[in-house]
Amino acid sequence: MNVTNSPGVCPVTGKSAELLTKISLVDPDISAHPNAYYDAMREADPVHYDEKLHMYLVSRFEDIQTIQRDPITYSVKHGYEAQYSAGFFEEFKDILERDGGGYFPDAIMSDPPYHTRIRGLMDKAFTAHRVRELEPLITDIVVDVIGGLPASGPVDIVKAFSVPITIRVICAQLGVAQYNADKIQRWSAAVTAQIGRMQDRDKMIENAREICELQHFLIEHVKDRQEHPREDMISDLVHARIDGADEPTLTFKEVVSLVRALMIAGNDTTATAMTNLFYLLGTRPELAGLLGRSAGDDRAMSRFVEELLRVEPPVRGLSRMTTKEVELGGKILPAGAHLLLMYASANDQPEVFPCPRDFDMERSNLGRHVSFGGGPHKCIGLSLARMEIRVAAREVAKRLANIKLEVSAEEIPYLKSVATHTIEHLPVSYTKL
Amino acid sequence: MSALTVTFVEEDGTVKTLGAETGQSLMQAGKDAGVAGILADCSGACACATCHVYVDDAWADIVGGPNPIEAEMLDMVADVLKENSRLSCQIRLTPELDGLKVTVAPLG
Repeated sequence: MNVTNSPGVCPVTGKSAELLTKISLVDPDISAHPNAYYDAMREADPVHYDEKLHMYLVSRFEDIQTIQRDPITYSVKHGYEAQYSAGFFEEFKDILERDGGGYFPDAIMSDPPYHTRIRGLMDKAFTAHRVRELEPLITDIVVDVIGGLPASGPVDIVKAFSVPITIRVICAQLGVAQYNADKIQRWSAAVTAQIGRMQDRDKMIENAREICELQHFLIEHVKDRQEHPREDMISDLVHARIDGADEPTLTFKEVVSLVRALMIAGNDTTATAMTNLFYLLGTRPELAGLLGRSAGDDRAMSRFVEELLRVEPPVRGLSRMTTKEVELGGKILPAGAHLLLMYASANDQPEVFPCPRDFDMERSNLGRHVSFGGGPHKCIGLSLARMEIRVAAREVAKRLANIKLEVSAEEIPYLKSVATHTIEHLPVSYTKL
Repeated sequence: MSALTVTFVEEDGTVKTLGAETGQSLMQAGKDAGVAGILADCSGACACATCHVYVDDAWADIVGGPNPIEAEMLDMVADVLKENSRLSCQIRLTPELDGLKVTVAPLG
């Protein structure tokens, strides 16, 4: 079950140290199609200082593992704060305090021991076994969305498939019954732009206004669940308790920040993974047969999804900051060095994943990809994300055929962001089975 | 709550015998005691494979095999998978497991 670009030969990617001196991750062409840039970095300068971004880009698998395993030396809290609304933070914060019900720093983007407490209060909602119980609900949503697609397309699969599915799933989980999906998509874009490093001041003000609206929406729900608990994730967080702990419950500010994170973080990235499924089916047509043969087999589907996530990780790079001088990948980094972990690069490292651009769902170490990060900050929603993508892929295999992109791969627009690698629109045609 | 004893053999051969409580997961007991290689990145959600252990032959029948979701996670680390592989977050400690011995699997 190994699909290669050119049978029998591992495709050679462009490697050139010259690439590194001339360009930056924020250059739009690189940002859209970064794999050759990552290859050059791993080869020539694995902890590479990007002059435009003022960050060290960490590209090798082993260095990313080192960082993930040491959350004290490599601080998420300081890395995230330096990234957040970079260049406009004080103004951004003022807008939220004045018009958005308050500024609620992301409680989960923190360091131990505080992070350990927050994570402990969130974990119960997300076990793989609990998520497995959601499979029928998710299946109903996916089947309904596919049922609503026009007979053959073309449609923008982002707007017609990926986003509506993920929004419906997360709103059902949070217990949010009445919502405007277009607004949620705008709110998502506004929140994720705060760590994308590619917004100007006008855009920041526009995004801050969106986030104010989002926060008022969420605050109303949180206050409601304080009085009237229900069977939903907002209630779980409002009433989460660890008996015997010094601070056994979450504060109001923490709950709002966590509900915001759940609504946005999982939504945007999971939708991107679903879009990437269509991108891969459109650019590697031989995968359709592989997916079709896998659709009835849980083990095969779980491997298919994992390889999809390895080959095209939705999260491009999250940040850390060193809390002391440290050597990483042969380079001495000072305290306060701002790092970006390039997950797609680690997933492309041939010493770890041979012929990394091949879609090979039989890899024996598939679970080592870092698309969900790793260490104590590993994505908390990973089981839900896997389940949504698995159901989406399975139902696509059963219900759609002849999936074709209506644009060339070079024309696909990508979101301007260092945090995610997100296809903005993907016109796709298909036939319904 | 009653005290049990469990033994982890770390990847480098270091033997760690430690006290645990019934109702706890084997992962939690190992993590609390700082057993090398019991990382539990997903905090016991059965969603990664960083608490992977090999159950000692003498205990294999009593502990039993992986549940279906656990088996899917173990399949993701097929390069270090053995017949006696389990994720220690999925082993709930009971009085019958007093004396349990496991070896920590390599992280691959």
